[in-house]
Amino acid sequence: MSFVKALRCKECGADYGIEPRTVCDSDFGPVEVAFDYEAMKGKVTRASIAAGPQSLWRYRDLLPIEGEPKAGLNSGWTPLVRAKRLAAELGVKELYIKDDSVNYPTFSYKDRVVAVALTKAMEFGFDTVGCASTGNLAHSVAAHAAAAGVRACVMIPHDLEAGKMVGMTVFGPRVVRIRGNYDDVNRLCSQIADKYKWAIVNVNLRPYYTEGAKTHGFEIAEQLGWRLPQHTVVPVAGGTILPKIWKAYQEFITLGLVQDNKPRMYGAQAQGCNPVVKAIQEGQDLFHPQKPNTIAKSIAIGNPADGYYVIKVVNESGGYGASATDPEIIDAIKLLARTEGIFTEPAGGTTLACAIKLIQSGRIPKDESICVSITGNGLKTLEVMQGQFEEVPVIGAKLSDFDAAMNEPTPGNAPWKAAEPAAARA
Amino acid sequence: MPTATRKCWLTFEGGHQNEPCLWKMSRKYPDVSFDIRQASVQKDIGIMAVLFKGPEEDVQAALDYLIELGVKVDPVEGGSNVSG
Repeated sequence: MSFVKALRCKECGADYGIEPRTVCDSDFGPVEVAFDYEAMKGKVTRASIAAGPQSLWRYRDLLPIEGEPKAGLNSGWTPLVRAKRLAAELGVKELYIKDDSVNYPTFSYKDRVVAVALTKAMEFGFDTVGCASTGNLAHSVAAHAAAAGVRACVMIPHDLEAGKMVGMTVFGPRVVRIRGNYDDVNRLCSQIADKYKWAIVNVNLRPYYTEGAKTHGFEIAEQLGWRLPQHTVVPVAGGTILPKIWKAYQEFITLGLVQDNKPRMYGAQAQGCNPVVKAIQEGQDLFHPQKPNTIAKSIAIGNPADGYYVIKVVNESGGYGASATDPEIIDAIKLLARTEGIFTEPAGGTTLACAIKLIQSGRIPKDESICVSITGNGLKTLEVMQGQFEEVPVIGAKLSDFDAAMNEPTPGNAPWKAAEPAAARA
Repeated sequence: MPTATRKCWLTFEGGHQNEPCLWKMSRKYPDVSFDIRQASVQKDIGIMAVLFKGPEEDVQAALDYLIELGVKVDPVEGGSNVSG
């Protein structure tokens, strides 16, 4: 049985039936899925959730599907890492990394939203799914559609990283490269959805798609032992995930599954595309769209569809925003890799770099619990890291050559301390 | 001529938030009605949700005229046929 009540306008509260709809007829405000929390009480419990599968579908009662899940059966339930070495480096007490860089099957948080959107698209009877994407979403739509046997057509900006092109083409979707940036692609997709009657997951299925992002927040709370981190730092691209992590926290509070410790939400953007953070820092409710110019292409969205709601949630929670320059993003990628063994893409580097700024500026207290959301994998954007490390010299295949090499400064991501051979230590 | 209905987000910035752009449009295209469904205007930016109705060619010309005046015109998702 489903606990879904309606699609509800976020502005005026008007209700609509469960259908492919994005906006309210009256004020054009976005609609989102409303649930019957009263009916859930006593039925959706810690025990009922824990008895579910080790995937995002353990939260299916809080997701907008009617029947059985049809996609992403192994997506979600990614590690929440207690980042002790990184915490020591930053001088903070309790730091966690929610690591969606290892999400299944395409290594980004998008596998969550696509699992839900594709299931819903199949429930609605669409024969073709698609998306407007900066890369990660196209990977996920293509992979999930391949596994479900559904036709896929993905629309992307023309200048995506080469690795990301391969990572979607391999699954066999129709790939359409569009001259323009993400915002241009997104605008075109609105028209495509209208004309071709396809399920463009982040356009005409957006209310269902975005609900999948809640599972990132549910998992943080459950994996933290049914409690909420006091501070959650999240990247902002289209603005989907931050308000939905907040919604997840609020739903768990409403259902009595966690205590309300007044969690605060923080938005992270690249300096070369920071319309939302700029508005937060200037105390504005509205943001000025920007033309993106950053290496963090997966979050380079100058006119975020849900940017307004990110600002609203950040302000309501008492959080803040920060933005990071491209060199700061690269440094943060290296730091996370060498302290925690997690290789993230520039979006993750942005989030960590911004978390560091928020900690150093005193916005986030060092003695409280902090969670940093890492949403994508660095192996997809190797180009960004090229030239970041000195070339590794080749040595001869003799022990004496190795001995000599050990006395040379070593290129890499960490200072190397020359170790004495075991025989010398003995 | 067939009639058309367009749902649009209008963004006014760079000083255009202080200009009567919709009034100018209305004077030039009197057969196009505009219905403001939502609006938020601050010191340096204004955003409006507007429903336009009228003869198809006039509606398109009116939207093009707003773009010419410096207003950013975006279709509400699911809408179509907006240039600019």
